[in-house]
Amino acid sequence: MFRILKGASGERIFRTATISALVLLALFFIGIIVSLLAYTKWDTFISALGSSEILSAIRLSLMTATIAAIISMLIAVPVAYAISRSSFPGKDIVDSLLDLPIVVSPVALGAALLVFFNTPLGSAIDDNILKFVFSVPGIVLAQVTVISALAIRLLKSTFDGIDPRYEQVARTLGCSKPEAFFRVTLPLARDGVIASTLLTWARAVGEFGATVMLAGATAMKTETLPTAIFLSLASADVEKAIAVIFVLILIAVAALLIIRKTVGRRYHV
Amino acid sequence: MIEIRDLSLHLGEFNLKNINLAIRDGEYFVILGPTGAGKTVLLECVAGLHRFKKGAIFFDAADVTRLVPEERSLGYVPQDYVLFPFLNVSDNIAFGLKQSRISAAEIRERVNEIAGILGISLLLRRDTRSLSGGEKQRVALARALAPSPHTLLLDEPLSALDLRTAKSLRLELKRIHHQLGLTTIHITHDLMEALEMADRVAVVQDGRVEQVAEPEAMLFYPDGDKVADFIGSPNILDCDYSRNLGQGVMEVGCGSLKLTVAHEGADIKKVAILPRHIYVSETRPPGLSVNGFQGLITAIEPTSNIVKISLDVAGKALMSEIPTYIFDEMDLVVGQEVFLILRMRRIRIYESNR
Repeated sequence: MFRILKGASGERIFRTATISALVLLALFFIGIIVSLLAYTKWDTFISALGSSEILSAIRLSLMTATIAAIISMLIAVPVAYAISRSSFPGKDIVDSLLDLPIVVSPVALGAALLVFFNTPLGSAIDDNILKFVFSVPGIVLAQVTVISALAIRLLKSTFDGIDPRYEQVARTLGCSKPEAFFRVTLPLARDGVIASTLLTWARAVGEFGATVMLAGATAMKTETLPTAIFLSLASADVEKAIAVIFVLILIAVAALLIIRKTVGRRYHV
Repeated sequence: MIEIRDLSLHLGEFNLKNINLAIRDGEYFVILGPTGAGKTVLLECVAGLHRFKKGAIFFDAADVTRLVPEERSLGYVPQDYVLFPFLNVSDNIAFGLKQSRISAAEIRERVNEIAGILGISLLLRRDTRSLSGGEKQRVALARALAPSPHTLLLDEPLSALDLRTAKSLRLELKRIHHQLGLTTIHITHDLMEALEMADRVAVVQDGRVEQVAEPEAMLFYPDGDKVADFIGSPNILDCDYSRNLGQGVMEVGCGSLKLTVAHEGADIKKVAILPRHIYVSETRPPGLSVNGFQGLITAIEPTSNIVKISLDVAGKALMSEIPTYIFDEMDLVVGQEVFLILRMRRIRIYESNR
């Protein structure tokens, strides 16, 4: 079947095919952005951007995503290290289980969380400790649930890439196990930690499915940026939706630029 | 004194079987063996990097089997140095010192002192990634020595270096060993390295200690076929007389052969030279040739990458080994008369009567 693709002509055809795919995909994204720009009336765009609803959504999104990113890193660093360095029976099962949130639809995760808070244990937590359902902590919990698996995956590959012998040498130089982790492994993982923090943070900013299930979509109360797009379109306010889309794109680009600047090309996601 | 008693360990493809070794204080102890013999695992056991169920390790009289690495105060230099890439040379050397409660000024002083001993004072501000192999090795040594360990563990310290660097570092290691009087365990697969550096050698094969002896004793009296095979059956000549020529040179008579050797001391009973240190040539080598002879090829036996050539030199049977690619460029046949040189510096001496 591949006979006609032999030799120099085959090489040319193959290169043309792969580059065509690349060009088509780039055109697709450029087309979307151009259509957004063409659709926008700039005066209404500016006023939408300055509206108190959008400003509060920006504030809420940045705040919840930052808290969620910090919490998930605090969880992900030890978990990823444990999976990367230790071997125990059933490790493969645990490992696959931790991948579930990456594959399962966020809406399903959010719905599952909502169900959990309707169980006796869940409602006891919700009533007596911290109110999650239809409230701001619910947004953070929904985001953490979705992004921590991603953080673990990214950090695990970082720790996998660090030769355990660095720690062994540190031990022979007088470090205890925790000291060796903090003095050697963590500095070696610096780039990976920075990159995964920013990526999970950006992912948390964009989280919608789980958030809307658990925290709902109450304007000005549990309205994050993606929720704002949903609410704007639901009320046929396209300008406002476009304004929020641009804000989200801006945040994503900023996150990627910061990763490039601080970590450079040493870290590939 | 470091004592390893009845150590057995199964770790992946490595198997240590009932290892018993005693390393004396201040000794330069070399563990010699082929790749995959389990030497590194053994060294890592001493360093405390593996847990094992069978056997024990003692430092002096104290059982350290259950101690974690940081409680053993050993200096460990792994094979590829494992310098911390996020620290510069000076901070790498200071790494272990920062674990002890001494002041920053004292740390700086100690780093400078150690860097001076190893001749790397000019490298202290450098990024470790910009160092050459030999420089990295010195930095790794300095890092291991800085906290003043009682024993230095070296895992193949010279194997990753080019020949010239390895040679100078070999002398350096001996000098540091003398200067600091540090018990040193040095792992290598290189016989010449072991012969030149060791006070005593342990030959390890397939996870077993086959022989522990002084280098000369091992060379002249290998214990068992495994050791003899690994050493590569040196040419051993009994000597009838020896005569001091002065300036570190002696003349020995071994039957019909009269050899010049670099040695000064008592009477020489035997000399040994490895087959790879006998050079064969079809034409008379130019210039003054010390230990140059003429001989007859009695047999040629090619193996995978070397060719073994049996020679008859004035009634003495000698064996030479030359790399196949060199052999292919020569026209050697059985019965041919050739010139050979026994490299003077490579001839090993055995003095005592045994």
